[in-house]
Amino acid sequence: MTQTVPIPAAPDFRPYWRPFRERTTVLTDVLPFHAEYPAVLRNCEILAYLIRSYTTHSMTCAALGHPGGSFSEAEFLAVLYNYVLRFDAAHPKWPMRDVFYLSKCHACPGLYTTLALFGYFPMRDLGGYGCWDSHLESHPDWLRTPGIEISGGSLGQIPGVATGRALALRRNGPDHGDRMVYVLLGDGECNEGSVWEAFMAAGHYRLDNLVFVIDYNKVQAKGFLSQDMSIEPLAGKLRAFNLDVHEIHNGHDVSELVDTFTRLRQKRCGKPLAVILHTVKGKKVGECQYNPNWHTSAPRNAETAGRWLQELWEQDGRRLGIPPEFPRALAAAVEIVPPVHANPDHIFEQQA
Amino acid sequence: MAQFTIPARDATSEMRYQMGYALADLANEYPRIVALDGDLRTSSGLHIFEHFHPDKLIKAGIAEQNMIAMAAGLSQEGYIPFPCTFDAFVRRFMDQLYVSVAYGNLNVKVLGAYVGLFTGKAGATHQSDKELGMLLRTPNLTVLEPGCNDEMAQVLRAAVETSGPFYLRIVRCEVGWNEIFEGYRFRIGKGVTVLEDNAPDVGLVSTGYMIKTARLAAEKLRARGIRVRLDHHPSLKPFDRELLLEMAGKVAAIVTMENHCVSGGLYSLVAETLAARGCGVRVGAIGTDPEDFIHTGHVNDLLHRYRMTSGDVVEKALAVLRGTRETAAV
Repeated sequence: MTQTVPIPAAPDFRPYWRPFRERTTVLTDVLPFHAEYPAVLRNCEILAYLIRSYTTHSMTCAALGHPGGSFSEAEFLAVLYNYVLRFDAAHPKWPMRDVFYLSKCHACPGLYTTLALFGYFPMRDLGGYGCWDSHLESHPDWLRTPGIEISGGSLGQIPGVATGRALALRRNGPDHGDRMVYVLLGDGECNEGSVWEAFMAAGHYRLDNLVFVIDYNKVQAKGFLSQDMSIEPLAGKLRAFNLDVHEIHNGHDVSELVDTFTRLRQKRCGKPLAVILHTVKGKKVGECQYNPNWHTSAPRNAETAGRWLQELWEQDGRRLGIPPEFPRALAAAVEIVPPVHANPDHIFEQQA
Repeated sequence: MAQFTIPARDATSEMRYQMGYALADLANEYPRIVALDGDLRTSSGLHIFEHFHPDKLIKAGIAEQNMIAMAAGLSQEGYIPFPCTFDAFVRRFMDQLYVSVAYGNLNVKVLGAYVGLFTGKAGATHQSDKELGMLLRTPNLTVLEPGCNDEMAQVLRAAVETSGPFYLRIVRCEVGWNEIFEGYRFRIGKGVTVLEDNAPDVGLVSTGYMIKTARLAAEKLRARGIRVRLDHHPSLKPFDRELLLEMAGKVAAIVTMENHCVSGGLYSLVAETLAARGCGVRVGAIGTDPEDFIHTGHVNDLLHRYRMTSGDVVEKALAVLRGTRETAAV
């Protein structure tokens, strides 16, 4: 199909945001009475806004994605990459890095956007997410995408991989003693028995360099956890598996995230850490919020994407000083590729 | 100190125990080797490895899925993990093997113990004669099945020295030290011609334990005046198609022999290869029945029931040859 009107490029984020840390290979604690405290919060908020906005753009282009989980994890990813994790985007395999595994692999659109914003790969790659030949797979492939730590897509496996990794870090000896392994699990993923095998092994080996973060957005793929398969009492279960359990009561409050992770990284108590992150699935887009119908699905056209982007701007963009042209430009840059495949389940005869 | 006594090295020819010794030797040479045990170490032979390297045996408990996932994580820090449990339990961790290990192309070396019928009367739940169906169709995965202890030690070394995911089928029972020939060198992706008469009538193709049966059958066929060629294929994936096609060009009939059912494993590899080349040579299959659960019994009774003895091979070879000649006469 020929394009009559050229699609404008997605707008540049650099006028509005750059990483909070000059060097992402070192950590500095920012406490509430420090002068930089408001700055780190504001930076993380802008980042979370950008993650949601560019993710809306890439999912619409791809006609693919999981907005619910990508939006519930946005503030967590923002604080993680801005403040918690040591990494070097120019050298993704830097051997002294902290390791982050996204165990709920389907929520990768949010992670891809985060990685691109930190410079692991060019922002323009996001527009190709899910296309044949793009390195951004529907579920991540660590052999192709810089910054991804393991391939996955079948739930319940990566907590065990992380346990093995944390065990390996300990076996590496004292020079690797400071490195940490973080895993983000889905709440529905905790239905999988293998998750609990991993918790059991991590508790048994007392891996206090390992942090299981559970994105507790209360909604699974086709329904609500409380009705499909409840994981309550979650904190009690985790404690019984010998984990040191912490709760973040509002996973969209970046100050609570910053404060909790500042506290947790001082804590090596001979137990793996578990963080229950209370979030809202699809946070900040009204029609997605707490709605299983938007677990998997993407805006089907630029108009819907434009509405979402406008909604995100009104809640966050405006107060964070992002000009109103930004969401409009992002919506205008939506190009659903390949265009003739708007409905992926419809097969055109000449292509069959 | 080991929890149980370990058999003296030269007093046992059981492959599981020799595997424990061979892996312990390799760990002296390659310090990044670790083994993961699914609470079966005295059965699988890993207790011998533990005896020599107690700090390198990681106990994963009775949690096969997590054992494979942990091995994946260990490999990402440069360790060479050998997770080991009964081969039958591949049915429990196939998804971890397929997604975390094979799709990610991680350097994990899975040891499947107790392959096929040789499970010490463990019965239908423990017999593993269907698993190759999926393993041989897992991208990136190398699948090897040695038939004697010398070959097993070489296979372990090849797995350590070659990067990528491996699945090694290790039989439990006593096997010979070297059933191939003096000075045999195992290579990944290569089969080996063990015997070849002039202008052979029948080709025997074996893998794993069945090399022993194949050798006995070859002698019995020769005694009846039938000329034989015997090829052994320890490397199931990648499979040595060239060697098979070369054999198919010379013989009138082929019999495959595997410690596995006759669908999805060696017979399927042979049939697929020959069909693709339009080779009209008839192939008989020795192995278990894919429609059967293998009930408890002494292994000799099982081999008899599923017609997997050297006598059965002779009978099968004669029947396939007879079929070929009848077809030719029509």
